[in-house]
Amino acid sequence: MEKLDEKSGATLVALPPVMSAHGVRRSFGAVHAVVDANLEVAPGTVTALIGPNGCGKTTLMLMLAGLLLPDDGEISVGGADPRKDSAAVRNAIGWMPDQLGAWDNLTCLQTLTLVGRAYRLPKAVARERGAEVLGTVHLSEFADRPARVLSRGQKQRLSLARALMNDPQVLMLDEPANGLDPRSRVELRQLVRGFAAQGRAVLVSSHVLSELDEMVDEAVFMSKGKTLGADTDAMVADARTRYRIESLDDSVLRDAFAHWDMPFEEVDGGLVIRAQNKEHAASILEALVKGGAKVHRFGPFGSALEQTYMAMNEERR
Amino acid sequence: MTTTAERATPTTSAAPRGNPWWPSWRGVGLVTRIELTRRRPTTKGYIFYGILVAAILGLGILVAALAPPGKTSTPMELVLILVLGAGLLIAPSLSSTSINGDSSEGVLAPMQMTRLTAGDLALGKLLASWLFAVAVLITTTPLLVYAFSRSGWHWYELIAVLGAILFAVLTFTAIGLAWSALAARAVASVSLAHLTTGFLVLGTLVIYAFAMPLVSENVTVTDRYVDYGTLTPDEQEAYEAGELDYSTVQCTEQTYETSVVHTDTIAWLLLLNPVVVIGEAAPVVNPNTYEEDDRAAPGAFALMHQAVGGAQLGSQGAPLGYDECGDPNSQAWSDQWDQQQEEQALFPRNPWLGLALQAVLLVGAMGIVIRRLRVPYKKLRAGTRVA
Ligand SMILES: Nc1ncnc2c1ncn2[C@@H]1O[C@H](COP(=O)(O)OP(=O)(O)O)[C@@H](O)[C@H]1O
Ligand SMILES: [Mg+2]
Repeated sequence: MEKLDEKSGATLVALPPVMSAHGVRRSFGAVHAVVDANLEVAPGTVTALIGPNGCGKTTLMLMLAGLLLPDDGEISVGGADPRKDSAAVRNAIGWMPDQLGAWDNLTCLQTLTLVGRAYRLPKAVARERGAEVLGTVHLSEFADRPARVLSRGQKQRLSLARALMNDPQVLMLDEPANGLDPRSRVELRQLVRGFAAQGRAVLVSSHVLSELDEMVDEAVFMSKGKTLGADTDAMVADARTRYRIESLDDSVLRDAFAHWDMPFEEVDGGLVIRAQNKEHAASILEALVKGGAKVHRFGPFGSALEQTYMAMNEERR
Repeated sequence: MTTTAERATPTTSAAPRGNPWWPSWRGVGLVTRIELTRRRPTTKGYIFYGILVAAILGLGILVAALAPPGKTSTPMELVLILVLGAGLLIAPSLSSTSINGDSSEGVLAPMQMTRLTAGDLALGKLLASWLFAVAVLITTTPLLVYAFSRSGWHWYELIAVLGAILFAVLTFTAIGLAWSALAARAVASVSLAHLTTGFLVLGTLVIYAFAMPLVSENVTVTDRYVDYGTLTPDEQEAYEAGELDYSTVQCTEQTYETSVVHTDTIAWLLLLNPVVVIGEAAPVVNPNTYEEDDRAAPGAFALMHQAVGGAQLGSQGAPLGYDECGDPNSQAWSDQWDQQQEEQALFPRNPWLGLALQAVLLVGAMGIVIRRLRVPYKKLRAGTRVA
């Protein structure tokens, strides 16, 4: 898609998307859950799927995962079409559903060992990998406790561990941050980034937008079953250029900007300007300080994704 | 991107092609193990299990103790019927929540994402539920061995009946599983599973009873008896003393209408009944010669076989009338009765129709289950989500 080419063209020419959807549609009776979804996920990147409740994120993920047949449209995962080579698609994907479910009677390690064996790993290998993955999600001390005693956040992490068992090419996380404590969220972010750094792709849907900001390379916004294309990409790009400046005396800033003929917005307790890139921002700050402004805060203005999300101006379902 | 290349080659075997559904030994075994471990009975479950087995054993021992010494097949037949009943209750109850229950708990879809095929999941779940019923049979083994030693059955006959029982339980377990694949809610699938069992066990009998009037035919029966009014006083005296020479007196005839039921045309309804199938799989006992044959007196199964045999024979023409003049002691009537009894009891065993029905139901139910478990889903169970 255009947006990907535009943003980081260099890497993308070398790496075709590992997962793509074009014109995907799916309805449940009279409910049109996904109307027109287009997205591409490149290896080594983290892509966010963002949209209000009921906009079709889960439905789209199910179709990408090879669990649900699209009514129309083309999907490809690792070169396989879920319509024909559905087993290959499922095998390439680690999927963490938004519905938490675990086998109550089994311990965490037993659960993961059995899942590993379901992926046709030999018993010993499955057990070893289960223990390793439990370590990755920081559940090692719960290895021998039954899943039913886990808290919500721990179950969430067990579910993530299950998604990692088959060493997938593509990781799909459906609202993974729900119910996680701040520390686990940071760990999730590190895990996701680490995963992408190994050259694998991640698609993550979430509502915790400020979290996503630091974790994702690409964002696909969805509304009423449609993925929003270039418009929202431009909005995200624009939002990323906005810097908020707070100083002890804003009039100095206003004068400086008027002098440089630089547009700015007034917000609560500060000013917002646009900087084309980091270097530009640094030079603005340098000039301001040299000019005598007592700047005590200078940084990106809020979450780019959140701003875009709010600006999308589409009502919830 | 060097890491991609360097990444340890995936430990999973080569990428699968297409979207296979067929079961493998390994997959079925794994699913069975998972199901058995996670549905391991709770304390309450074990108590229920204990009570059930104790009830079966208690009843069996009681009947064995009360039975007159010598050969009797009744205790064994009782245990077998109770095992069948327990199996038909337990296994379908478990299987009929196995798929929709898993789906609402959120553990079905993650399984479908693995390399397990729809066939693996279907057969594994079937086997696991079925094995819980087999466990009941196994716990009653000591009593069964004792009861068998008194039953006059041959071991291969017991094996055949046990096979028929386990097959019936397997079939109804599969039907329960199919309902659980079709219905969204567990309440619905459990009741539908038990309704199906009830329909085949009781419904066939009810339909049989209601079908009887449709195949009945009116026939005329002629009774002959001495016309008391025409006898001389001497003859009347002799008649009352039972010394009358019937050849010298005048007899009157009276005819009346009665109906006979041609049950042979509807006996197949009985043969579809799973309990009848068990009876038909049991050995035939000759009611007149069982002692010489080294058998126990006809027990419940033999009597059931005789009743079903009678139904298959049907009524052959009008019944014999009462003939006081020609046959004052009703010898012919009694002979005919004995002959009929033997003919019915020795009627060839016919479990095949019922077994064929069960096989069709088993295969059909598993077909539904496998089709319903295959992903990607085209259609979902009404009112459910994948996840
Ligand atoms: N199995 C289903 N049957 C009927 N409607 C469904 C089903 N799954 C999803 N929907 C509907 O489709 C829409 C999109 O759902 P979903 O993809 O779960 O949204 P999201 O994950 O973005 O919150 C919702 O309106 C939802 O009610
Ligand atoms: Mg969702």
